[in-house]
Amino acid sequence: MPCQTTKPNHTPLSERVPDTACYFHIPFCRTRCSYCDFNTYTGQDSLIPHYMHALATEVRLVGVSATVEVTTLFFGGGTPSLIPANDLNVVLDSCRQSFELAGDAEISLEANPGTISRSYLYSLRQYGVNRLSIGMQSAHARELNLFERTHQLGDVRLAVEAARDAGFENISLDLIYGIPLQTLDDWRISLDTALDMRPDHLSLYALGVEDGTPLHGWIADGRFPSPDPDLAADMYEWASERLAQAGFEQYEISNWARPDFACQHNLRYWRNTSYLGFGAGAHGHAVFSGTSAVRYANVLHPADYIRRIQAQTGPCPFPLSDAVAWSEHLDGRQVMADTMFMGLRLIREGISPGVFKARFGDDLWQVYGAILDRLIAAGLVERTADERVRLTSRGRLLGNQVFAEFV
Amino acid sequence: MDTTSIRNFSIIAHIDHGKSTLADRLLQITGTISERDMQEQVLDDMELERERGVTIKASAVRMSYQANDGQTYEMNLIDTPGHVDFSYEVSRALQACEGAILVVDSTQGIEAQTLANLYMALEQDLEIIAVVNKIDLPAARPDEIAQEIEDLIGIDAADVIQVSAKTGEGVAQILEAIVEKIPPPKGASDTPARALIFDSHYDSYKGVIAYVRVMEGVITKTDTLRLIASNVVTTPVEIGIFNPHMTPVDRLNAGEVGYVATGLKTVRECRVGDTITLGVDGAAHALPGYKQAKPMVFAGFYPTDNDAYIDLRDALEKLQLNDAALVYEPETSQALNFGFRVGFLGLFHMEIIQERLEREYDLDILATAPSVEYQVVLRSGDILTIHSPAELPDPSVVDEIREPWMAIEIFTPEEFIGPIMDLVTKKRGVYFSMEYLDSKRVQLKYTIPLAELIVDFYDRLKSGTRGYASLDYHFDGFQVDRLVKLDVLVNKQPVDALAMIVHEDDAYHKGQRLVSRLKRLIPRQLYEVPIQAAVGKHVISRANVKALRKDVLAKCYGGDVTRKKKLLEKQKKGKKRLKMIGNVEVPQEAFMAVLRLDDDD
Ligand SMILES: Nc1nc2c(ncn2[C@@H]2O[C@H](COP(=O)(O)OP(=O)(O)OP(=O)(O)O)[C@@H](O)[C@H]2O)c(=O)[nH]1
Ligand code: SF4
Ligand SMILES: [Mg+2]
Repeated sequence: MPCQTTKPNHTPLSERVPDTACYFHIPFCRTRCSYCDFNTYTGQDSLIPHYMHALATEVRLVGVSATVEVTTLFFGGGTPSLIPANDLNVVLDSCRQSFELAGDAEISLEANPGTISRSYLYSLRQYGVNRLSIGMQSAHARELNLFERTHQLGDVRLAVEAARDAGFENISLDLIYGIPLQTLDDWRISLDTALDMRPDHLSLYALGVEDGTPLHGWIADGRFPSPDPDLAADMYEWASERLAQAGFEQYEISNWARPDFACQHNLRYWRNTSYLGFGAGAHGHAVFSGTSAVRYANVLHPADYIRRIQAQTGPCPFPLSDAVAWSEHLDGRQVMADTMFMGLRLIREGISPGVFKARFGDDLWQVYGAILDRLIAAGLVERTADERVRLTSRGRLLGNQVFAEFV
Repeated sequence: MDTTSIRNFSIIAHIDHGKSTLADRLLQITGTISERDMQEQVLDDMELERERGVTIKASAVRMSYQANDGQTYEMNLIDTPGHVDFSYEVSRALQACEGAILVVDSTQGIEAQTLANLYMALEQDLEIIAVVNKIDLPAARPDEIAQEIEDLIGIDAADVIQVSAKTGEGVAQILEAIVEKIPPPKGASDTPARALIFDSHYDSYKGVIAYVRVMEGVITKTDTLRLIASNVVTTPVEIGIFNPHMTPVDRLNAGEVGYVATGLKTVRECRVGDTITLGVDGAAHALPGYKQAKPMVFAGFYPTDNDAYIDLRDALEKLQLNDAALVYEPETSQALNFGFRVGFLGLFHMEIIQERLEREYDLDILATAPSVEYQVVLRSGDILTIHSPAELPDPSVVDEIREPWMAIEIFTPEEFIGPIMDLVTKKRGVYFSMEYLDSKRVQLKYTIPLAELIVDFYDRLKSGTRGYASLDYHFDGFQVDRLVKLDVLVNKQPVDALAMIVHEDDAYHKGQRLVSRLKRLIPRQLYEVPIQAAVGKHVISRANVKALRKDVLAKCYGGDVTRKKKLLEKQKKGKKRLKMIGNVEVPQEAFMAVLRLDDDD
């Protein structure tokens, strides 16, 4: 039984969600990278047509009960760039039909270098995709091999060039640091190489060695050293300086952008506003009148997902679909706490007492004064001249020590 | 009532030689336990005993046996633990018996606790029935071991019963031997009742349940009873026997073993070793009772959560009812606040007590490193007895410090003599004697400071001899030595709970090791934390726990905020298990670091 069939008896929930983002999960990859513990599958490409069909159906099922404006769309993965552009467009069309798509909506797609042709990129542009996030990860063959990535540096260069030619004006590159055996110099070269490609946005992620991944196994049996957290901290600090010089603004712990190029979709996560999740293992979050919320996630496996959507045992209360595996209601207190620890990830914006008050009707300092005082005393959090609360430069690297106070 | 058909006996042996398994077979043959309820080592009913496969508590059970002579006998069996730390359980059990079955593993032969427990039984004038066990195993050498028993213990090899407690082979002979050899209890039934309390436990409905051996007279369920030493009068809730579960009876006669549910609430009112008599026309004098067990090692027990102090106090009080060897008194530590200094018979005992408190009473306990008792002779001539390094007075007022020494016996195959000698010397031990038990095995005797023995001597002995050596020890005396207090400073503050008393010659080496260990165990904090070891004002070693620089989740993958929250919650929970000392978070393992300073790492 995927979800309750009883209809809410008061104002339809969807009417209390003014606008939202849409996330589409594409759980398919050619091969699995050695550090990856994402919800993605290899050797399941035969499912793709059915999966994309189900995705378009899920959008309609959820959209039918809603008159919500959609401000951003994001195809994440997995490897969205494995999906034929036509199939992506079917999902986009379904979205246009089921929701009110904002005219200037940001539509992002994650792409793996080596999977994208020029004609593919032209099609994407034509269908309205306007932001490309390319998984570069490193400039060094040795590191890309360690990660068992299927591309080399040259592929990234070609991809960026082709994307520009196709008319993409918003291109992001992902890099990973804190890699076993990586030196500070290695890292400098990777970042400078990325900057040479003139991206509009950069995401720099510290490598997490997750249980169950091949990389975890290699480190456990001593074939590779564990990443050194202090060195990773040095890399992070160096990158912050380098990117500031290069004219990038850091707007989130791991994200930098040229002015006006912050990722609008991801900002919605950190501002703790609504985003609908579609597809296998997708997570969603609908915030009602700003203060209460539901978080939910769909079944993980694409085959299960397709089956659930095809069976259509619904109707389901907004924003759930037949594919939902889990959902949880959050009360005002919990939404507040989430707003704090997500919002503090935003380096410049932080938490503004005015916005907080407007949203929750409560005074920020009355609710969290004790915790904030402690964090300020510890040098992890600061108050800006305009009364915002945000992480100090030290706090950016020790975010968990701050966030844990709010959970 | 006639006592001639009663037999009271304990099963004693070295650890793991098969006592509890033998008890299983006896319970089975006598039909005390139905096949359906039978399980391996059925008397080891405590969760910890089952998990670890070791007996911790002695358990009494009554069986009824129809002997070959046609008569039915009432047999009271007490299964005892073999681990040296629980020998107090054995000694009390023996006082409730007229005989003992001495079990020897036929693949191992006589070991240290075989002899130690045998001597305890002989001190009580018990009749001994010797049994060699595990004859089903290919490595069994029953005849050889029977001969060893004759040579070392003086029981005719021909009288040694050969059994397999596993298959049951030969076990029936033991029952016949019990009938024939072990005398019935002697106590008269027409004198005022006197029953010795040899164990107890707490039941929230029936109060303290006293396990008794009625020495003389009769107790009936309607009698008002008096405990002679505590001078408390009570009307029992019920009296009964163990067969093997508590089963009410109308009367307990002279010579029988059973229980009295006293309805009393505290250990002060009903102490193990006290004598129960009748409230009216009772006996005037108590039975000899027991020597209080002498704790060997002491450690501070502190609730991780300061608010749980009262819970810990109540738990210790209840647990003491079920562990007569447990002693404790309140203690305050600058670092850890309010807790207790608890005395134990050994490290295994300490470990068991900590686990029982945590499981049976749902407490989170922080234990400090174990220490021994020291006698401090002051310049003034006064002698101070201390149980914790923190109590050691300033050296300027101290004349000398005496520490407890133990006499130890090690049984080992001869090829390990060399490594054992090395180990003992390293631990400041002194050689005493060596004797061949047979052509291949020897008994070595040494004296050694208890402080060295408790640290990791036993583990090293076992690993250095591939498990073949066995060890027994007893208190020998106090000896003066050049001992100093090693202070540990965390963030420049001395932490009383981490201080230790060491030999002057070892101070430097131990101080260095301790600091490098603590450096690894104390998690990185928001600022750098210096750790120092010092003797007096002299800093011996120093290291810094570097400040934490990076602790942040990089990616919010696909909007999965829940997973992120779970990780943060886990992190927060882990933090709660750390103890705040000043503003440094210290994990439990840090307090135990002093235990393994000799490891080569
Ligand atoms: N093969 C074989 N194994 C046996 C026999 N008797 C006991 N064992 C095994 O020896 C181990 C120890 O047996 P226990 O009965 O627990 O020994 P114990 O003397 O009660 O041990 P403690 O109470 O801890 O001192 C168990 O694994 C038993 O299964 C036997 O006759 N034959
Ligand atoms: S491409 Fe991305 S999702 Fe696919 S396996 Fe590699 S890291 Fe994982
Ligand atoms: Mg046993």
